[in-house]
Amino acid sequence: MAAPPSPQQVTPPSASTSQPPPQQAAPPSTTAGRPVIVLDAAHGGTDTGARGETGIVEKDMVLQIARTVRAELERQGYRVVMSRNDDSNPSYDERAAMANAYRDAIFISLHIGSTGNPGTVRAFYDQLATPVAPTPVAAAANVKSPAPTASGLPQWEQAQQPYVEASHRVADLIQAQLAQSFSGSPATATPAAVRGLRSVAAPGVAIEISSVSVPSADSLTAAATPLATAIARGIAASRAAGSTGAN
Amino acid sequence: MPRNLKLALGLLAVAVLIGLISLREMHRRIARLGEMQASEERARHEVLAPPISTPTDVTVKARIFWAAGPDQLAPAEINLPLSADPVQRSRQLVRALLALPPTPAQRTMPADAVLLGFYILPDGTAVADFSDALAAETPSGIVSEQLTVNSLARTLESNVPALRRLKILIHGQEVETLAGNVDLSGFFDLHPPVQSPGTNATPSAPSTPGAGAAASPSGTPPVAALAPAKPPH
Ligand SMILES: [Zn+2]
Repeated sequence: MAAPPSPQQVTPPSASTSQPPPQQAAPPSTTAGRPVIVLDAAHGGTDTGARGETGIVEKDMVLQIARTVRAELERQGYRVVMSRNDDSNPSYDERAAMANAYRDAIFISLHIGSTGNPGTVRAFYDQLATPVAPTPVAAAANVKSPAPTASGLPQWEQAQQPYVEASHRVADLIQAQLAQSFSGSPATATPAAVRGLRSVAAPGVAIEISSVSVPSADSLTAAATPLATAIARGIAASRAAGSTGAN
Repeated sequence: MPRNLKLALGLLAVAVLIGLISLREMHRRIARLGEMQASEERARHEVLAPPISTPTDVTVKARIFWAAGPDQLAPAEINLPLSADPVQRSRQLVRALLALPPTPAQRTMPADAVLLGFYILPDGTAVADFSDALAAETPSGIVSEQLTVNSLARTLESNVPALRRLKILIHGQEVETLAGNVDLSGFFDLHPPVQSPGTNATPSAPSTPGAGAAASPSGTPPVAALAPAKPPH
């Protein structure tokens, strides 16, 4: 795919203006030349996400894990921005906007699922759902058609589209790391129509840990550090290969 | 021993005996309850959504995609009377998914969900309208929600060749997600089986390919059968 357009990008904050040489691995222990990682603790507020029988609630556990992952990524020299740091529930677009504001960002959305083999972790990249065409029947069935574009720019709703291949690569590289740390996890990333990725105008990966059904929350909190390591290594590998899709 | 005490002890012994007997009976009932769960669900569906029969029904081996473990699907062939009319045929298949899982563990859609409507547009787009229970009772999670959508998409595409895309509505309305994660605002691509024997739309092998499959995935992960279409350019 050709270099994606970046219509959603606004003036990036000063700390992220440096662009990496595309074919060169980022130097260690500095944020220069490294993407800003927008870490999204999914759900929040009235959206609890998955709930386990032992009382584990996805929105709370995922925030706790995100904080540990953030600390570990920062220790490794990445700049990290959290989509939420409390029990708020920013909209999908508000979360995406945090990544879209940077010129060179990677969006990582953290989840804990209801099902799956406990202890396994999956990385997902977005397989965009086709927007609904405005047909008479669709209209009769209350199917919304896409919002019109004001300026000919690709629609916000389809912001992920130009980045899908880049997202796929990063997701595969992260999944390869996850497979080493969390046995039983798949070797390659999974495509899925993840709503939280659709508005992101940057490489985006959703990561789901299985699951809220584990007997104790300890195994989930213990996953945070190896999870951070897998994310960092996956991102570093994608930068080394020059494959993040950033311009 | 006073007569009253004897009487009391006797009554107590009888009560304990009765208790033990009913306890055994209770255990037996609980055990039976589990076995009955699947058939009770079927019975409930007989009332909620009775079998659909049409004049063109022919009993065929339908490929139904049930859950095979917590995160994957496996097709099974069951004898099912299916209509020649694509809409009725689709409704019969959805009813099978809802009402006929061989075991509760193989269920992919909430037992309480009801198909309220099913339409097919001239371009092969299927619109499936479900009751609120589909959204309310599908466990929240990317894996779990995708499994639900996959089982529907794979089952329809394997048995109704006319279908090209699937749109899922909840109570007549478009919803943002199924249960907090999987996007229902667009269409899911359906890929009818290629006309060669033994082909199917789903990876049959579980995903344990060798490590390091980074650049180009050689195997498809178990829940990856879902393939929503990319927008045209
Ligand atoms: Zn989630």
